[in-house]
Amino acid sequence: MYLQLNKHVNSLVLLCFTAGGVTDSLYVFVPRGNLVKAVWIPSDMIVELQSPAGKFWQTMGFSAHGKQCLHPEEALYLMECGNLQVFYQDLPLSIQEGYERFLYSKTMSVQHYQVFGHLKRLGYVVNRFDPSSVPSQYERQLNLPQSRDRSGRLPKRKRSHSPTSRHTGTQEGPTSKRMEEEKDCNREEEDKNPDSLPDLSAPDIDEIQTASHVDPTTSTEGGQGRSWWSKEGSPDPDSELPGQPQSSPRWDFSSIPFPDLGSRSWLPSSLTSPDPCLLPGAVGSVGACDVAPWLQRLNLREVRMSRRECERERDRDRYRRDINQDREVRRCRNWAEYQELQGRRIQRNRRDRPTHLWEGPVTPLHDPAQVTSTGELLDKISVIKSTRLLEGASSLKGSEEWRICFNIYQPDTVAEFKKSAPGKPYSRMCVCSFDGPVPDLWTLKLLAFQSGDVPVTYAVVDHGDISFYSFKDFQIPTDTSF
Amino acid sequence: MDSPEQKITKTVSRVDASKESMANSRQVIGINFCGPTPLMWRADDLKSVRELGIIGTLVGSLARQPRQNTRLGRPLELLPEEGRLMADMGRAAVIPDSTNEDPEVNPEQVEQYHAGLENSFQEQGALALEDRKTTLMRVITEKHNENSGSQEDSDGAVRDRLEALAHGFSFPRTAMAVQLCTARAGLSHCPEVRRFLAADWPIPRDERSETRFRVFRDLRRQGFYLTSAGKFGGDYLVYPGDPLRFHAYFIVVCISMDESMPLCDVLAIARLGSNVKKTVLLCSSGGSQEDDGEEVVYTSLQWSGMV
Repeated sequence: MYLQLNKHVNSLVLLCFTAGGVTDSLYVFVPRGNLVKAVWIPSDMIVELQSPAGKFWQTMGFSAHGKQCLHPEEALYLMECGNLQVFYQDLPLSIQEGYERFLYSKTMSVQHYQVFGHLKRLGYVVNRFDPSSVPSQYERQLNLPQSRDRSGRLPKRKRSHSPTSRHTGTQEGPTSKRMEEEKDCNREEEDKNPDSLPDLSAPDIDEIQTASHVDPTTSTEGGQGRSWWSKEGSPDPDSELPGQPQSSPRWDFSSIPFPDLGSRSWLPSSLTSPDPCLLPGAVGSVGACDVAPWLQRLNLREVRMSRRECERERDRDRYRRDINQDREVRRCRNWAEYQELQGRRIQRNRRDRPTHLWEGPVTPLHDPAQVTSTGELLDKISVIKSTRLLEGASSLKGSEEWRICFNIYQPDTVAEFKKSAPGKPYSRMCVCSFDGPVPDLWTLKLLAFQSGDVPVTYAVVDHGDISFYSFKDFQIPTDTSF
Repeated sequence: MDSPEQKITKTVSRVDASKESMANSRQVIGINFCGPTPLMWRADDLKSVRELGIIGTLVGSLARQPRQNTRLGRPLELLPEEGRLMADMGRAAVIPDSTNEDPEVNPEQVEQYHAGLENSFQEQGALALEDRKTTLMRVITEKHNENSGSQEDSDGAVRDRLEALAHGFSFPRTAMAVQLCTARAGLSHCPEVRRFLAADWPIPRDERSETRFRVFRDLRRQGFYLTSAGKFGGDYLVYPGDPLRFHAYFIVVCISMDESMPLCDVLAIARLGSNVKKTVLLCSSGGSQEDDGEEVVYTSLQWSGMV
């Protein structure tokens, strides 16, 4: 075998000519000092590093029970770059074996890896997408800070989804952890503005708050209240925060009934116990809530109007006429005459309206005597109403074939990129192919909703060739004079 | 030095011999499936496949320059029709996936691997030492030419320095180069064994893929080169020769004989074809179920002006 040594910066590249077909591949020779060693663990579908990670650790990988780990696609990419050597059963894996072992699942197929590799080679930072890390619209409205709690989530969530997960201590009561997160958020909100949150709105908040008010420890501990919710285990200090829950719920607040205790018309004596699925698992059934002590805290006094307001009310009443004072009505002697009077009055009002148009079952859409603006008129005659992409998207259920796979961050943010606080991605990627169906409106709405305010890009893989498409929400411009 | 030159001559003759033997033996090309995707990993397979008129796409990182997208390296991804055509011709075989076998550590192979590493380390150490010596010799002769001192003293001094270098030189383990294989070693690299190991074509056959395959086979028989054409809204791009040397002439859209195509689709694809200056071919296969003997019907769409 003829070896030609070419001294490159960090690697030696050797071209080997064949001698009988034993060594007929192009090898990459990499100095051993730069090569990170790792082990493939098929049961967890992750690659565990055995020597310290290099520069790639800044944007790739995660920590799990004290060890540095990589997702299979990240490991395969690093193998192709010559930075990583993965061992399985004490033998190094070739890239072909890497493809065959790491990429056989539906979540990360060859097409997904092609998109991943393409973007990584261009310099983007590509992470797996985690649906629960997207703040819901409610959370965005509340402007909750996102940076603190997203880091340690990834490995825990992955293991909770896999059927052979060995994760201890958090499998029971996944709903309880979801509630914890909401509770954390709510409580953080409360702790932040204790003064501005008036007692008036206390009963309007979900029943969870009543449970947390009852418990003395949470209210006194304030910022340290998080430790009350922490789970046992998770000794890793740098990336994981205690008390990290599973996915946050997608609650549709329009369907959860919040009792309105301020209304005067309906005053219940007690409120029934809320649905147990809305409560933390440990709390269980709360029992009926006695409303009386809360009502005492509500401001139920009458509104006392100032003099000006009283005058305004009187002026408005002046134009209301009592029908018995009407002279013409008094002149009617019986009901039939009254009806004729009414008919005449109506006719007088409607003098401009020809009977053949207005008296039939089908009436004109608009009376020209009525004054309206052009905009209102156009709205009246429009058959198709304009709508936004995200309308109705919250009620769509998830789909098996269409899902967002990756978060993409721009290459120029690599220097400041932190895995614990990655920030808002530049785009999110969904991988599909020309063999499959074109994404329809339902899919577009679903994925745009799942992605929050980050645009979604569709990467279409066509037998090795990748094209990127995106759909933009567009409103037809309207004239402002309408 | 003599040894590398000897090595060169030996290798050249060996390469010629092996090439001949390969040509003689009707080498069977191995295709590995990764999920539903057919991939090819061996370098000589890639060369011979191009001669058959199968193009494919390279989808892996290039080993020399992994962080760029203009030139990619192995594996070569094939269209399912390309693979099926080669299998039908008997030129290719599907290597069954062996990742689920061997659940335990194989101590023999591990020993072999470590022995190989040790050999490589020794070889590299020797080569590095030779390299250093030649550099030193070059430096010394340059200096000698400049100074033009006495011969015997300089010879002695040179010998001493070379000896000192040989004694003091140690090749550190961290500087050793380690090979990262692209393709898997094993039985499947041997062409004769591939025929033995071959598995059935695993892709399910439905009507659409049948139509596509028949069109592919017919066009290939006529000598055209075909690649995929998703970006152009069709099934294949047809080249009169190697795609590296020609532009595509046709965009092929495969539809079944009794399928009716809405007029807007016809207009859309015709518009697309005229914009990219290619002729659109609507292709359907004969309709019978047998493999041979049925015809493929072609209809071409070309935008013509009003005369």
